[in-house]
Amino acid sequence: MRALCENYRRDDLFGMTLLQVNFREASRSLWGSRQRSLLALIGIVIGIGSVIAMVSIGTIVQQEAVRQFKDMGIDIITIRKSFSENKKTEFNMDIIMRITEEKRNILTVAPYLTSGTEINRGRQKFSMEQMGVTASFFDLNKLQIRQGRAVSELDQNRYFCVVGDELADFLRKTGTSKILGSQITAEGRAYTVIGILDKVAEGGLRPYGMNKAMMIPISTALRTFQTPEISTVMARIAPHVSITQIKADISDYFGKKARGMQVEVTSAEELIERMKKQMQMFSLLLGAIGSISLIVGGIGVMNVMLISVSERKSEIGLRRALGAQQSDIQSQFLIESVILCLAGGFIGIILGIGISYLFAFFSKWQFIMSYFSIALGFGVSTVVGVFCGFYPARTAARLDPIKALRS
Amino acid sequence: MESLMLSIVDIRKSYRVGPTEVKVLKGINLTVEKGELLAIIGPSGSGKSTLMHMLGLLEKPDTGTYHIDGTQVIYDDDRVLSTLRNRKIGFVFQQYHLLPKLTALENVCVPLTYRGIKEGEVRKKSLEYLTKVDMQDRANHRPNEMSGGQQQRVAIARALIGSPAIILADEPTGALDTKTGEEIMDLFHRLNREEGITVVIITHNPGLAEQCGRYVKIIDGMIYSA
Repeated sequence: MRALCENYRRDDLFGMTLLQVNFREASRSLWGSRQRSLLALIGIVIGIGSVIAMVSIGTIVQQEAVRQFKDMGIDIITIRKSFSENKKTEFNMDIIMRITEEKRNILTVAPYLTSGTEINRGRQKFSMEQMGVTASFFDLNKLQIRQGRAVSELDQNRYFCVVGDELADFLRKTGTSKILGSQITAEGRAYTVIGILDKVAEGGLRPYGMNKAMMIPISTALRTFQTPEISTVMARIAPHVSITQIKADISDYFGKKARGMQVEVTSAEELIERMKKQMQMFSLLLGAIGSISLIVGGIGVMNVMLISVSERKSEIGLRRALGAQQSDIQSQFLIESVILCLAGGFIGIILGIGISYLFAFFSKWQFIMSYFSIALGFGVSTVVGVFCGFYPARTAARLDPIKALRS
Repeated sequence: MESLMLSIVDIRKSYRVGPTEVKVLKGINLTVEKGELLAIIGPSGSGKSTLMHMLGLLEKPDTGTYHIDGTQVIYDDDRVLSTLRNRKIGFVFQQYHLLPKLTALENVCVPLTYRGIKEGEVRKKSLEYLTKVDMQDRANHRPNEMSGGQQQRVAIARALIGSPAIILADEPTGALDTKTGEEIMDLFHRLNREEGITVVIITHNPGLAEQCGRYVKIIDGMIYSA
């Protein structure tokens, strides 16, 4: 007789078909109570959306930072006067330029100084940076000349300038049809435009505001600026030399040559490392916020599932009477909760991508779709669905069929 | 044994209500033959619902044995019990118990979905059984768009679709007016007569019981042949 009963076991018979049935039943019942399903989803949508947005934005920012540095190369350093340094000591042009002779690890130097100013064209104003630069500055910053030429060593003390992309745009809009050779008046002096730059990405070790800048020979700047003080020296260093060695060389050099002047050296490599770490922290923090909203969303889903179970006791009893096994009931509710979370996850992913797209758009950064974050979104919502659906589903499966039928 | 569809021997069941033990079934013996139309009649509180649940494998007896269609029921495995319910028993309830969000056709499909049969086949079969109870025109209606009698017909089609060994009907006319009730009873009689389906009807209505081939009385947890 036992053997006869064994015939009615069904363990391995129809796995897939039953799953499909459960899937359809679950979708139908969710659709049936769509208002409640939708409300339960909000938590998940926000949770997944923030996780996705955060991970994506983190990726975009990191990518952008790395891209900026890659653009310039990581063999670049900047040297600034230390903040603790007495104001009286200043970078001296001759001393700076001779460092490459004494310290072989320093290949090229490009000192510069900047001064904010404004130019007027009719009623239009344009605020920009006036920069005193050397010929090496263009190479170190990987600046591309679109038209004309760069500032050269031969332009000493001349009133020539190279204009950034945005400044060129401004000139064009304000009626200068042939920019090359035209004149710009800044701080009461007229400069002849000798070159136009391509647009460059900002950030990293590059000086601020180059797209809006007019670059003039450093000798001219040192004579005309109100504070004619070299603020920063950019340098290219020899490859495969440790940054510690470079720093030692530089402090040694300025210590001896510039009356014990103390300097601070920042390398691209260090900056990248620091940025990466910051981004990781940022992503981690954002991820944590997302996780909290997910937990809240998950509790919402569990709550909705529990309500659903208690409202559908009679259905559960009936299904049991018609031959549903405990596992059928359990998977029906589990699937329901997973579908709910996946739907929320899907909307959340769209939301997250939208937010990160907007973020990239307004930051003028390159938008990249983080496939990892999409996979993460689906993965996390499935896990939340299973996790939060498990208890309600088990409660449903363990209901006494008779009591369930009577309710 | 060959001609027996169902036999229970010395089934006992008691419940604990607070400190006292209430004996609901006090040693019930009952056999139902294949093709029989049996009524079990008893007043409320007589234990007939418990007996119905026992026959429907929804409840486990304290002692006693139960054979259905040649198989002895073993109660310790939910999967076996569920499958037996699915294959051997067709329930008809007083309150129809149709799933409100499903159409008549889909409601009739439910038992077969737990057998893993292809959907197209199930729907075809479902329509076939709806036709058998004259409800084919309502296949796409939902329960709230149907009268009580119509809902009960759909429920009967649902009970029949799995070709069970036995139809267990618990007060199937209890929620219907007299005329509709009679129509439902006619349907049971017709199915029994024309298709040889074994039916057990549980009722408190002696009039209905007398129409059936045989009826037994359950009083205070004991069966008495009429």
